[in-house]
Amino acid sequence: MKRVLPAALATLLATTLLTSCAGGEGDDSGTVTLDYYSLAWQKESVAANKALVARWNKTHKAVKVRYVQGSWDNVHDQLLTSFEGGEAPDIIHDDASDLTDFAYGGYLADLSKLLPGELRSDIPRTSWDSTTMNGGKVYGVPFLQEPRVIIANKKLLERSGARIPTAGKPWTWDEFEKVSRRLTRPGKRFGTVWTMKEPVKQSVNLSLSTGGKVFTKKRTDDGTKNAVRFDRADSAVSRLINRQVNKDRTAPRSGLGMGGSDALPGFFAGKYATVPLNFSFRQQVQQQAPDGFEWTVLPMPRGEGPGQNAQGVVPQTLSVAQESEHKQAAADFIAYMSRPEHMAELAKGDWILPTGKKALKDPEINKKKDGWRTGVATAKTLRPSPALGVRGYAEWSDKIATPAFQRYYNGDTSHTALSDSLVHDGNLILNRYQR
Amino acid sequence: MSALPPRIHLARGTGRAAQYLALLCYLVFLAFPLLWLISTSFKSPQELGRIDPTWIPQHPSLDNFREAFEAQPLARSALNSLIVAGSATLISVAIAVPAAYILVRYRSKVSSAATGWVLVSQMFPFVLVIIPLFLLLKNVHLINSLSGLIIVYVVWNLPFSLWMLQGYVKAVPVSLEEAAAMDGASRFRTLRSVVLPLLTPGLVATLMFSFVTAWNEFFFALVLLKSPENQTMSVILTRFLGAEGVADLGPLAAASVLATIPSLLFFALLQRRLAGGMLAGAVKG
Amino acid sequence: MKGRSARERVPFRGTAPPRTPAARKRYLGLDRGAWFLLLPALIPILILSAGPLLYAISLAFTDSQAGRTVATQFVGFDNFADLRLDSLFWESFRIGLVWAVCVTGFQLLLALGLALLLNQNLRFRWLARTLALVPWAMPEVVVGIMWRLVYHQDAGILNKTLRQVGILSEGGNIDWLTNLSLALPAVILVGVWAGMPQTTVVLLAGLQNVPRELTEAAQLDGAGIWRRFVSVTWPAVKPVAIAITALNFIWNFNSFGLVYVLTQGGPGGQTRLPMLFAYEEAFKYGQFGYAAAMGVVMIAVIAVFLTVFLRKHLKEDPS
Repeated sequence: MKRVLPAALATLLATTLLTSCAGGEGDDSGTVTLDYYSLAWQKESVAANKALVARWNKTHKAVKVRYVQGSWDNVHDQLLTSFEGGEAPDIIHDDASDLTDFAYGGYLADLSKLLPGELRSDIPRTSWDSTTMNGGKVYGVPFLQEPRVIIANKKLLERSGARIPTAGKPWTWDEFEKVSRRLTRPGKRFGTVWTMKEPVKQSVNLSLSTGGKVFTKKRTDDGTKNAVRFDRADSAVSRLINRQVNKDRTAPRSGLGMGGSDALPGFFAGKYATVPLNFSFRQQVQQQAPDGFEWTVLPMPRGEGPGQNAQGVVPQTLSVAQESEHKQAAADFIAYMSRPEHMAELAKGDWILPTGKKALKDPEINKKKDGWRTGVATAKTLRPSPALGVRGYAEWSDKIATPAFQRYYNGDTSHTALSDSLVHDGNLILNRYQR
Repeated sequence: MSALPPRIHLARGTGRAAQYLALLCYLVFLAFPLLWLISTSFKSPQELGRIDPTWIPQHPSLDNFREAFEAQPLARSALNSLIVAGSATLISVAIAVPAAYILVRYRSKVSSAATGWVLVSQMFPFVLVIIPLFLLLKNVHLINSLSGLIIVYVVWNLPFSLWMLQGYVKAVPVSLEEAAAMDGASRFRTLRSVVLPLLTPGLVATLMFSFVTAWNEFFFALVLLKSPENQTMSVILTRFLGAEGVADLGPLAAASVLATIPSLLFFALLQRRLAGGMLAGAVKG
Repeated sequence: MKGRSARERVPFRGTAPPRTPAARKRYLGLDRGAWFLLLPALIPILILSAGPLLYAISLAFTDSQAGRTVATQFVGFDNFADLRLDSLFWESFRIGLVWAVCVTGFQLLLALGLALLLNQNLRFRWLARTLALVPWAMPEVVVGIMWRLVYHQDAGILNKTLRQVGILSEGGNIDWLTNLSLALPAVILVGVWAGMPQTTVVLLAGLQNVPRELTEAAQLDGAGIWRRFVSVTWPAVKPVAIAITALNFIWNFNSFGLVYVLTQGGPGGQTRLPMLFAYEEAFKYGQFGYAAAMGVVMIAVIAVFLTVFLRKHLKEDPS
């Protein structure tokens, strides 16, 4: 041990020095290297990203792009540290909800003058709204989005005799409640399962479908002021979920702590007849479903009133760091990645939808298989989540709303208590951010 | 469990059986997640979606391992982790042993300040230290290099090493050192040939701890290393996680099994050195 | 009587023989040689640990925020005044104490038992010792995910086993992680599991200090297992046990990652540990100043706890 130790030490140190020197990125030939921090996750999507980067590098002599893989699991921590430390990647893949604080913190570049008109007109206004804040500045290109859909056990659904909803004529929430009852067999099967690992996001986004929005913006003398509201329209879906779990027993209480994937074993086993999930979960369903299991993708239910078929989404975005020395080049790369055919490629890889109008017409994205077409049909009902651009949303969500919703859905507190704490305690927090 | 108060003297055989049984219970509790992990790593996606999972995969396959290797640079990151954890462990133990020895044997102001600091440094939320540390390392150009990470881990491991080694040094009888000093041995020699052998069990415990801490460490590695070729294993593993806690379970399990093996091997090799007998021998000699 | 006579025969147990510090200093001397051995450890700590830490602590007296748009100002004790009224933080502080005390306590008891077993001359000891360290070897990323699967409602191995053993009725399911009263015990179990190896290894190494002659002598005297443990084993491992328990307590109080993966602090905030607060305050909301104030308060409270704990136990120490 005594003699081994110093020798091992020396070897290791030498190796370290060698490896750390080998990793240099010295390039003095006048070309620029930009770091592209990507959050692509599915295998196909990572491959598509890398292929596009390679193609860009082949056709662009002066600006090279280096692919840096990130992970949704820890994107915020990693970005915040590198922003604070002045080592941020040039091109940043993230989602719109994460952009708010980064944008107000001055870390992100305003892209409004750096992007080509073609791209600006290809992506609909509503999507741009989700990344436009702080007085009309655009902090990211919303290029991908993911609606929530209902994935249903086809056999059980057909056997129940319920009307099969279509994108043009989805169930109303009322109908959904009735169908759930019809699909439920006490002790054996639940009509649906609400996977509420992130209860706030869902409750806020679905509130749009009944004409609510939870967050109101008021114009005051010193800019817009956000406030929380939880009236009838805002809380309709929440009350429905509470009813289903605690009164009708058409959804299991145990589902409330699950993430989307946690519900799948029960779904495949026929324990849950339907399950509301994010669009990309189709990939997991398709991969894990037992042989002979038939499933179908349905649109989320809508409210009774006219125009009440919207739902909130948080688009994925591409942004440029304020500290980047080559903002135009970075924006050019973003425009390249967002070209209709490229956008479609990236969307397919992660099993989600592109925001661009042209990319949405891609034949493969419109195929009937695996519910793609249903998703495309819901695209026009997607609105930016009301939570976007609300400073203090994260704190409200963590400290107030998550525990409050969890207790409410668990049948532990009344609706009044929920609403009190969301609005009263919530506005105290939001106000602190808007002083 | 042998510490329980038995009112009657157990026959030796029964006592042994009880010991084995207790040990078995412990091992089941401690090791079953690894078995489950291994089982998971051989299962197909379809089987992972089953409501009645079995311990033994029905159609075991190596697909998850293949996919894990294809998706992420596992070998490269394992090498990085090994370099970082290995160097950090050796360096931190090499500088902690003499320091702990001095801190115990000289009760000066420096010693109590250092000991106090060791504890305080563990009490403060480490997330708050990350940004100042990041800026500090950036100033000396140690961001995005394995050497920078090694230095951080050394410093990170030192408090534990110092604190624990002090406990073990205290147990070494001073009279032995005095005898050596009488014989004219220098302090360094006394430390090396009298104290160190007696410290072996404690030293091994500290080595194990330092290695595992560095091997598993995630947050520093995440924020300090940028280039893909520098990533360590713990960071690479999070690549199998998607948004909202979704995991690519099969390949993640496969990669995790592979990440577990080096530590277990390291333990298997070192555990013998945790054994006693040294003290008695040294005293006689 | 017999126990005492055995004890007196111990030549070298514990720390130094009763010498005055002055005498020892004269004999060993804090001279250049000592500094030479001490500095390699002190310098890196001073630069890379003390520096950033003191800086972070100083933030507690400012309104420092993430972002390059606002200038940081000195605000005195404002953060602490706000924190005093932050009932959510204090509620999580209570949960944190329950969590830290339970986890640390169980860790010590269970690890002590395991270390004693692993110190016996049993067959396959090497294998047992290696397997006992599994929680340490498993990457942290996957530990939380594995335990989520174990506790899973529908497809969890725990509910399945309980059904097979007959504790749960057929079709019975326990929602371990979402039940308001079960969630905290469930995560405490995982916490104990995860922290067992380091405590065990440390104690196992400490057990090597138990003088064998003494154990044998006590055995010959006909002392029972419990007597032997109390009069011979425990005094010898006690310093190490106290050292690791103090550290465990600090670590447990400051941990949150594992629990976060398991429950996200839910249900209803039942498993929101105080460190999660500080982390979210700093990294999610970018309020560095306020988060640092939380850190300072946590240091203060833990320090009080530890001082009481260490005082009490070190005083009992006969040396």
